[in-house]
Amino acid sequence: MSCGAEVHKGGIMGRTTTVIEVGPTRNTLLVLVSLAALLLLLTPLFSVLQGGAVFTEANLLYGALVFYGAAMALYLGFALVGNERYVRFASAATWAGFVLNTLAAGHRWYIAGRPPFANLYEMLLSVVWTLALLTLFVERRYGVRVIGTVTMPLAVLGVLLMQLMPSEVRPLVPALQSTWLHIHVTLAMLGYAACAVSFALALMFLIQDQVRTETFLAATSGLVATIYLGIASRFDASGGLRVAAWDVNAGREIFIARGEPLMVVLPGLGWMFFLVLVAVLTPLGLYLWAVWNKQESLLPWANRAFLIGLLVQGFGLAAFVLRAREGMYASPQAAGLFPTSLSASPFLLTGMVSSIAASLLYLLLWWRREALERMLPSAETLDRLIYKSIGIAFPLLTLMIAAGAYWANRTWGSYWSWDPKETWALITWLVYAGYLHMRITRGWRGRRAALFAIVGFAVVLFTFFGVTYLLPGLHAYA
Amino acid sequence: MDSKASYALLQEIFRALRSIRTGIILLILLGLASATGTLILQRPLTDPERLENAYDPETLAWLDRLGLTDVFHSWWFVALMTLLALNIILASLERFPTAWRFFTRPYLRPGPHFQATLPLQEEISIRNAEMGLQAAERVFRRLGWKPQRVGKNGDWSLYIERHRVARLAPYVVHASLLLILAGGIVDGVWGWRGFVALRQNEQTNRIERRDGTEQLLPFTIRCDDAGQENYPDGTPRRWWTNLTVLEDGREVLRKEIEVNDPLVYRGLRFFQSSYGSTGTLAKLTVLATAAQAPQHTVTAELFPDRPVALDEATTVRVTAFVPDFIVVGNQIRTRSQEPNNPAIQLLVESTSGDTWKVWLFPRFPDFSHSGNAPYTFQVRDLQMGYFTGLQVAYEPGQWAVWAGCLLMGLGLLMTFYMVHTRFWVVPVSDSHGRQALWVGASASKNRDEFLERFRRLMELIRDELARQQPQAVVPEDAVVVRS
Repeated sequence: MSCGAEVHKGGIMGRTTTVIEVGPTRNTLLVLVSLAALLLLLTPLFSVLQGGAVFTEANLLYGALVFYGAAMALYLGFALVGNERYVRFASAATWAGFVLNTLAAGHRWYIAGRPPFANLYEMLLSVVWTLALLTLFVERRYGVRVIGTVTMPLAVLGVLLMQLMPSEVRPLVPALQSTWLHIHVTLAMLGYAACAVSFALALMFLIQDQVRTETFLAATSGLVATIYLGIASRFDASGGLRVAAWDVNAGREIFIARGEPLMVVLPGLGWMFFLVLVAVLTPLGLYLWAVWNKQESLLPWANRAFLIGLLVQGFGLAAFVLRAREGMYASPQAAGLFPTSLSASPFLLTGMVSSIAASLLYLLLWWRREALERMLPSAETLDRLIYKSIGIAFPLLTLMIAAGAYWANRTWGSYWSWDPKETWALITWLVYAGYLHMRITRGWRGRRAALFAIVGFAVVLFTFFGVTYLLPGLHAYA
Repeated sequence: MDSKASYALLQEIFRALRSIRTGIILLILLGLASATGTLILQRPLTDPERLENAYDPETLAWLDRLGLTDVFHSWWFVALMTLLALNIILASLERFPTAWRFFTRPYLRPGPHFQATLPLQEEISIRNAEMGLQAAERVFRRLGWKPQRVGKNGDWSLYIERHRVARLAPYVVHASLLLILAGGIVDGVWGWRGFVALRQNEQTNRIERRDGTEQLLPFTIRCDDAGQENYPDGTPRRWWTNLTVLEDGREVLRKEIEVNDPLVYRGLRFFQSSYGSTGTLAKLTVLATAAQAPQHTVTAELFPDRPVALDEATTVRVTAFVPDFIVVGNQIRTRSQEPNNPAIQLLVESTSGDTWKVWLFPRFPDFSHSGNAPYTFQVRDLQMGYFTGLQVAYEPGQWAVWAGCLLMGLGLLMTFYMVHTRFWVVPVSDSHGRQALWVGASASKNRDEFLERFRRLMELIRDELARQQPQAVVPEDAVVVRS
């Protein structure tokens, strides 16, 4: 039985609604996902029941991970085949994961006696929670059902990343014991989440705005290549890959001097990631060659190269996980062998997993573009939604900066000291201020505005991650 | 250059300064300059030594010359900010009169040209003008709006509006931004920051400012006590200092400050910033046991260089203290100011004139040796001298900054979530004498959603007309249209 799609155009606002009817035989994925989730939930349950404590934070988080994973599979399935039932079950799984996530965050709040914002682990806990909340909200309020296809992989990634991080409840240093800090961080998270939503909507807009699939190929390849360029910069002269050493007993990095962690070299992996870099650069190179020489016939080859690149990325990740999981390695800084662990390189791992996720999303677009176009709201609606989400984000960012300044003033006696995080928050604010002026006074609509929203989110990402790991400053707590 | 040409040139500059394009370019330049300031090491925060290591001398000289090592205080950054402020002021001045007219003189009755060109309008046929108007009024009242009668006897129309103040929202936001900048300028010019370290019972009215100069206070500040509390795992939980403000020797204010909770007096704020050991001994409690009669013990509290009697014939005092004892070569040294391995030298004196030197090592009691002194000593408690570090800040402009932040929050909420909506209801008749109710509407934003609302409203008016019979009464709150 084939899947009959029927498109109702209309509505007073010219909104396009899509109804896709699907026969009962398309439930294979549903059954598979339910079985897998059940199995994953039940297997540890027996051992947990014997052990006693069921509602520990780790268990709650595990449950949330399983449900978010199920939701991700179903959302992706929906995006692939357009089965309406998948979305309903995906929403239900998201809800279940969200409830468990809430319990986990609440548990930590109760244990620590303060909101969970104090370190990267707790921040991720809250960010994933906000992401799930926004997914449910956008789906319900605006009917953008494929949003989960983008956000749920991010949620799964976040929870996985949390498993690698030190999770014990640490007491707060005096400077962080302030209500204003909690207000500041809450506003920051809500604001940045709204920016993330505007980014996802901008990508959807570009799909609806007939941007060529190959342009997405180039953009994805560029992003992935940048990530692997960062990873390959850890190349050691011996052909290995430098990663931080890990003190297994203390559960943290080993420092040989202030701010200088001990590094070990994973032999052979340097060349491996050099190979991955070449593999992910190939489709970009082919695309540029094809565009430069106007050889359309080369473009399918770029797509094929992209598939190969994805495969090589998978090998790279597998090799990295196998090597970095445990083992003793030599260090260029000190004699002897030192242990490392996956926990020592959370950002390398995130980089690899997110570039694979981005590649998979591109594949989805490549294979199912027509179905996606039918499922997404119209370009006009998306354009308006981008503006609306930035209309939410901008006041939140403004108040976030103000609350942060007020907190700094109470703690250090200075509301603005131009430290890198502050400055980049201001730059983010300036970018969105630029967007709003362009849109309101110069009537920018459509593609230019969407590209602006994408640039804005790139700046947000740099402010959030880049500044913390590349530029030193006062925000050294997380 | 004759005056006409220079006037034209001035006009041109003026126009360029107030254009939105200039504003956007300035935003971009400010963003780029700020980014540069985070990528290049900055002067006041980074040690000169680190800068010299990071860049070679010639590059550093050029960076210094261009102000790139102190971007946020360089003349060109300040100039960019000034230009942006100027741009905001001029652009607002240009557009404000229109918005103000909108606000103070609402367009109550649409003229024929307006009626013809308004994008959102519809006509509903009616039998009688008054009946139509009343039906519309009832619908608006039911929706919680306040319709206003406009016109003269027999020639009425309706004007309905909401959130007129939204027209002023952009000016509120830009004014708040200027207020914040003004506060920043005030603090940049008249404000200062400094640091002072006080020991217990120490008082001062001199503060060392960040720029190295000394600031005299019109009052004196005294540290009565200070301390640190730890979590069970040893990380600091809280630092506190008891401060007293003295004016002409009189106590005027006392406060226990802690991180996040400063003392404020005469616009000056004192922040708990650091706490540490001075490396000196404040108080030592020892248990002294008589060598000849072990049942005779004395607990003595010793302060530096103050002798304490153990019995009628014997006194003891502290003569030396090393917080972190180490012997290098033949010399006693200390590794740090923290009491990691304290060593105390006591001098026991007898009235007979005999003296004994005693070394105590609380961490290594076996190393302590009393020689043949009449007493042996055990350290019971050791209190170190400490200092409390206070940041001092004078920021007279900060209230403008906070007021600006609040105003900006308000302005942004108005900008994004308040829509100025207007409706006009005018009875019209065509050349054949057929009567109709002309309804026009306009919204300052969210036009697509407003369209839907307009359609629903039209339905409601039609329903109302179909359902109810009119009452021919003119309401009392009718107003006369302005000429």
